[in-house]
Amino acid sequence: PQSLLQAYAKFSGAPLTVNTINKSWRAPKGEVPVLISEDIVISQPAKILNFLRKQKYNADYELSAKQGADTLAYIALLEEKLLPALLHTFWVEAENYCSVTKPWFASRIPFPLSLYLPGKMSREALNRILLTRGGPPLYSLTEVEAQIYRDAKECLNLLSKRLGTSQFFFGDTPTTLDAFVFGFLAPIYKVCFPRVQLQEHLKQLPNMCRFCDDILTCYFRLTVSGHSPAGQDTADANLQKLTQLVNKESNLIEKMDDNLRKSPQHPPRKLTTLKLAAGGEQSSPLNRLSP
Amino acid sequence: ATLCFQAFLQMCNLPIRVVCRANAEYMSPSGKLPFIHVGNQVVSELGPIVQFVKAKGHSLSDGLDEVQKAEMKAYMELVNNMLLTAELYLQWCDDVTVEEITHPRYGSPYPWPLNRILSYQKQWEVRRKMKAIGWAGKTLEQVLEDVDQCCQALSQRLGTQPYFFNKQPTELDALVFGHLFTILTTQLTTDELSEKVKNYSNLTAFCRRIEQQYFEGHDKESSATVAARSAKRSLLR
Repeated sequence: PQSLLQAYAKFSGAPLTVNTINKSWRAPKGEVPVLISEDIVISQPAKILNFLRKQKYNADYELSAKQGADTLAYIALLEEKLLPALLHTFWVEAENYCSVTKPWFASRIPFPLSLYLPGKMSREALNRILLTRGGPPLYSLTEVEAQIYRDAKECLNLLSKRLGTSQFFFGDTPTTLDAFVFGFLAPIYKVCFPRVQLQEHLKQLPNMCRFCDDILTCYFRLTVSGHSPAGQDTADANLQKLTQLVNKESNLIEKMDDNLRKSPQHPPRKLTTLKLAAGGEQSSPLNRLSP
Repeated sequence: ATLCFQAFLQMCNLPIRVVCRANAEYMSPSGKLPFIHVGNQVVSELGPIVQFVKAKGHSLSDGLDEVQKAEMKAYMELVNNMLLTAELYLQWCDDVTVEEITHPRYGSPYPWPLNRILSYQKQWEVRRKMKAIGWAGKTLEQVLEDVDQCCQALSQRLGTQPYFFNKQPTELDALVFGHLFTILTTQLTTDELSEKVKNYSNLTAFCRRIEQQYFEGHDKESSATVAARSAKRSLLR
């Protein structure tokens, strides 16, 4: 969810600062990611997206009604077919969980939450998988796992066919759907797990890899190999510095651009360089995102 | 849900007979409805049934290219995700509906106290599932809003075409028809859910068209079964 929201924010030009998880014990319901804007606190990805849209950061401005409908459908596909396998890879697969997810997660939240929270998330993930996919005729966990990975691979294949050779799912500008797909794929693609069947499958789909790499290089200013958990910290720090710079400049420009902001909706901004993001004159609410 | 695959089989021009049974859930190999019994094979759930029918040489989506097939699968997931979950929510998590309609209907074939026990058990199961996917915290208004969004997406996708993929009906049409027709014709404590669907005239026209084309041929029998089915709908789910 965190990479999804960051990607969406980038696509739509919303200025946000990323704070690392050390405040999650203060997050209202212990849920992350959390968006804090002035006094409003919002905690679920879907609600955060709605909020950003209402604040006029809309990445789907140029989509037709039918494309908007397609977006909803594909997001449902992702949640239904890809999410269980993703949850499993991160939280349920024993080797992955013990060697990568748990230490990484626990290192970013304060003691004693670090003892409790990863275990809770792991149990919730397993619960969700079993309740939604685990009925008969699949009677054992291994059968359920086999089925969810089959579904996930099919889903990746479908996405690959839909993407084809275009740069983004709806032409040349990224939209909500691209943010969602990126949000789901980036962790699979970049995090180094001991058990990597999804990653291997993904690597066999060159257009999906190209899609992830494109977004990472254009919008996240990272080299292709640099998005490991350790790299996340430097990425966050850089993001923060750059966003602060952007916000200072935009405060000055804001006064001149008052009229522009009164127009109904803003078309998406293409952030070809981050300096250009200073053209983000719509930054009067200072959004802070805690992943 | 039964209606979805009945529509599908009608569209494939395959003759079927619908039978209502109290222990339907137990007869099904996966515990889920609907299921079909062909010769000595029993197949359940829409996905496997479609595969089975395809293996026998009948398929509705052969004329689609790869991208369209991907789109069709995505829309089917949307329908399952939103409409089916909303229907379940309304049946089992909305207290008013549960008390007045679902409990009596679900427990009707059984004597007391079995009817209450079984329906509470089912309710507990459904609520657990809702909690796992994050729907337990939703209010009725939010659920209705989600249904509205889903209908809007379907309506926009359908546009002015007769079917979702233009001239030929596909599995998606059968699925959408099944759910929308159920919503439009099932009696609940409030009409809000069916009102949401009725807001989209092309969707109601779509349902009527499919009903006329595929169900009125079997006139008396199907309208009688539709009425019987709407009374036992939660049972057959």
